[in-house]
Amino acid sequence: MIGTRYPLAGDEPARRRPRTVSVVVRPPGRRFRVVVLLVVAALAALTFAAAKGTGYAFTPAPSVGAPPPIEVPGNAAAAHKLQAKLQTQNKQLAAALAKLAPTGTYIVVDQTQNRLYVMNGPEIKRTAVCSAGSGLVLMDSGSSRKWVFDTPRGVFKVRNRISNPIWKKPDWAFVEEGKTLPKDPADRFESGTLGKYALYLEDGYMIHGTLYTRLLGRSVTHGCIRLGPDDLQAVWDAAPIGTPVFIF
Amino acid sequence: MGLLLPALALLAASTAPAVAPTADELARLSFQNDLLGKQLVLAKGKEFYLLLDPQGGTLKLMYRAALLQQYTVNGLEVGVPRVAFKTRSDLEAWRGRVWENGALDPPRELDRVEVQAPPPTAAGTEIEVPVPPTPEEKYPVPHRYHVRFAGGLSIEIRPPGSDVAQGFWARLRGSWSSWWADATAAMSSAPTDTVRLHLVMSKQDAESLYRALPPGTKLLVLPAL
Repeated sequence: MIGTRYPLAGDEPARRRPRTVSVVVRPPGRRFRVVVLLVVAALAALTFAAAKGTGYAFTPAPSVGAPPPIEVPGNAAAAHKLQAKLQTQNKQLAAALAKLAPTGTYIVVDQTQNRLYVMNGPEIKRTAVCSAGSGLVLMDSGSSRKWVFDTPRGVFKVRNRISNPIWKKPDWAFVEEGKTLPKDPADRFESGTLGKYALYLEDGYMIHGTLYTRLLGRSVTHGCIRLGPDDLQAVWDAAPIGTPVFIF
Repeated sequence: MGLLLPALALLAASTAPAVAPTADELARLSFQNDLLGKQLVLAKGKEFYLLLDPQGGTLKLMYRAALLQQYTVNGLEVGVPRVAFKTRSDLEAWRGRVWENGALDPPRELDRVEVQAPPPTAAGTEIEVPVPPTPEEKYPVPHRYHVRFAGGLSIEIRPPGSDVAQGFWARLRGSWSSWWADATAAMSSAPTDTVRLHLVMSKQDAESLYRALPPGTKLLVLPAL
């Protein structure tokens, strides 16, 4: 029989069945993974390439440089005149430059590396191990004085030359040894300390010998240039009064 | 008559105008004079200066036209800053110009030690003086250094073999930090070095230059003409 069935008392009300949506999470496909990998690799390659192309790019320097152009006169006579003028200028400038360069023997002192060179023009005649200024600062708390033991840079001249020099010890020589300053000036004189010869430069700076040859090659002095006996003899023989001394 | 004709021919040849100098010849002569003038100004000055002659393969340390030191330059490369292959400066006009205020980077620190005078001692008492280090101990040379001049030019020197003693990781770290320094310098809004000259020198010369270069040195690069 076909008909409508009405709910009875004991019947439970019909429940709407909840709609279920099933989501299936699938792992990414192989193709997707490959694409991601490729993108990452491309980005990495781009970054690497950009990094490689960032910084300083060096190329061999061109061997010949083109001079900047100048205005050249139109007619030949004027061009000849300009050429002659430039050639004269060239000679004058070259002569002026040559005049400034030291002629004959000169001395070069590399105070950082403690080397002395006896030069003649561009030629090194002798290389000597020397000692230059220590750079120390000596403080005397008693008198609040201080001394800086640097060798000065620049050009000097041999002002005086003395064999068997006697050293007149300055105040710092007593202070650094913890000695009181002598009242009698005669107590300041000391022989033998400066070696066989002393070549006086300026402001009390000298090239002289030393008792402490084992310290040659180290920056130990109070500003003077110390040499070993053989090198001192060579410098003495090569450098008369007036010899330029370049210290750098 | 036999002698007259050759004499006339000679006279004609001597009075005939020679070939006019080319613009290039005149420009070279003028540039040479300009360089000589600059060398003269440097020689009259009170600063130390470097003369770089790539053609002659020399770098000379000069003072008042006197040669103080000469270093051999085995090669010269020119470098400009670039970001992602894009160059950020031009290569013009670094030659034949005087560059000033050269300073070492990293600087060669002066080991200035202050010593307090000892208290008065009894006569005859010896004071022990420490033996100072040698220049090699005092000034270790980095595996790469620059002499940086005002105006944007720097000289780059890499003493060959100076990093051999280091281990693999130290070298890797060194090359990484060098690249990083270069990259940041090239990318900065105003690169410090608009032109870098890489000088190829022997280890001895490269180290000697680092230890000896006085502060505030000038530089003139002599072009080959």
